[in-house]
Amino acid sequence: MELEQLRTVFRNALELPGEFPVDELEYRGNEKWDSLAHMSLVAAIEDGFGVMLDTDEVIDLSSFDRARQILEKHGVVLTD
Amino acid sequence: MTGLLHPDARLVDAAGATLGGAALRDRVADLAAALDRQPPGVVLAAMPTTVDAIVRFLGALHAGRPVALVDPRTGADRLADLAERFRPAVLLTGGEPVPGYRPGADPRLGEHQRRTGEPGPAPHPDLALLLTTSGSTGSPKLVRLSRTAVLANAAAIATALGLDGDEVAPTSLPLHYTFGLSVLTSHLHAGATVLVEPNPLTARDFWSAVDRHGVTSLAAVPYQYEMLRRLRFDPARHPRLRTLTQAGGRLHPDLVADFHRRMAAVGGRLFVMYGQTEATARMTVLPADRLPDKLGSVGRPVPGGAVAVDPGDGRETTEPGRTGEIVYRGPNVMMGYAETAADLARGDDLGGVLRTGDLGRLDADGFLHVTGRTKRIAKVFGVRVNLDDVERSLGHHGPVAAVAGADRLVVVAEGADDDRLARIRAEVAEALGTHSSGVLVRSVDALPLTATGKPDYRALEDRC
Repeated sequence: MELEQLRTVFRNALELPGEFPVDELEYRGNEKWDSLAHMSLVAAIEDGFGVMLDTDEVIDLSSFDRARQILEKHGVVLTD
Repeated sequence: MTGLLHPDARLVDAAGATLGGAALRDRVADLAAALDRQPPGVVLAAMPTTVDAIVRFLGALHAGRPVALVDPRTGADRLADLAERFRPAVLLTGGEPVPGYRPGADPRLGEHQRRTGEPGPAPHPDLALLLTTSGSTGSPKLVRLSRTAVLANAAAIATALGLDGDEVAPTSLPLHYTFGLSVLTSHLHAGATVLVEPNPLTARDFWSAVDRHGVTSLAAVPYQYEMLRRLRFDPARHPRLRTLTQAGGRLHPDLVADFHRRMAAVGGRLFVMYGQTEATARMTVLPADRLPDKLGSVGRPVPGGAVAVDPGDGRETTEPGRTGEIVYRGPNVMMGYAETAADLARGDDLGGVLRTGDLGRLDADGFLHVTGRTKRIAKVFGVRVNLDDVERSLGHHGPVAAVAGADRLVVVAEGADDDRLARIRAEVAEALGTHSSGVLVRSVDALPLTATGKPDYRALEDRC
């Protein structure tokens, strides 16, 4: 699958503009990424990639990079 | 304030520093002494989730100084509006100087500003606490709460939940929000520990702190129960956490039953409660052992309270099965609202009787069931929103109607395409300062109308 798909999921969940660079995004330091946005993000990742995240994955999903790693753990490999 | 702070009460911050006993009392007294040197009148304080902010709040109560607590994210414009309308003597807020105020220099108060303009009228001597009621639309009214109300509700909640000195509760909700503040006051009153933890339920740090400090109970509003479900919350992983409390709007009975089962499986409990800022915080509680046979109920009045319904003829009744506006009586009922500085001088306008604006009925055992609203109000992530204000703000989009969904706001727009629906959603979320997942949008060919030509809100709500 395309990495761009994950970027789109992040932009939609965090309500960021269409071209916003998200690859370096982290939970800390982004005011759009609050607990409500986080739940939207988790829901969108689960729906969009057909995975179920466990408790630790939900609270460890603290950056774009972590999201990519967690998806890889679930067998979803994203190519740029 | 004599009586709120039990000698054994403690605050623990995220780093593990403990403030309790004589040290806490001394800091509160010190803060009160600093406030005594300020010009007389109301204090307006930003209320972030920090030990310092809690000490400021307790210091104001101790000094007999009415304190208005506001969201720490309140912007400069809104602060200036509040300052102009209510003319507080002191602002315990940082940031840009507010017009008519200048920075003060007492280091004990942290960042603060003193009023230089005309002072407001002297506040009523019974007034202790002022809280806002709604989200960001319109000009917020303040709820006026007396010293007696604050103390009575803290004590009643502590009794209803059986709180004692062994309890440890985290600040899982904002402290400027009535439910969050009542977790603080009820635990301080019971001589328990409050863990001052600013991170949300979705953060690793929150759960690390829960386990490190042996948290025993967790207070949450409906959207947080949705989060806990998605987090696959399992109390077996937190051996001391055995009590959940819920307030802040209706939680779907499926989720109530779900979390009751999770807690019961480990010998724990879920308490469903019903409250309003206008009643300081909480009015009823459903005892955990009655939850299975009273699913959907919010329970019975807290100690000192009483509930009746007014079916519309002005005659209150406690007859089982009659539906009407819920009328609550108790020492925790507000003195009234304030919209201007002059209102802060008013005494008790309500005499301990609160017409809640909610519809409900009592069952044969005196348990209350909340069934709807008499007012055009929705809750979005636990925050009250005035639906008429939302509609007015969307007038440029043609005919729209705003109705309440389950902890969400639903906007129905006539003949709107996807692009317009997306714009409406973004505008409303922006105005309310919330995530857009709190706003649902739908398009219809024509809004259903009542016989008098107004939007048929009931029909719309049934469809949502």
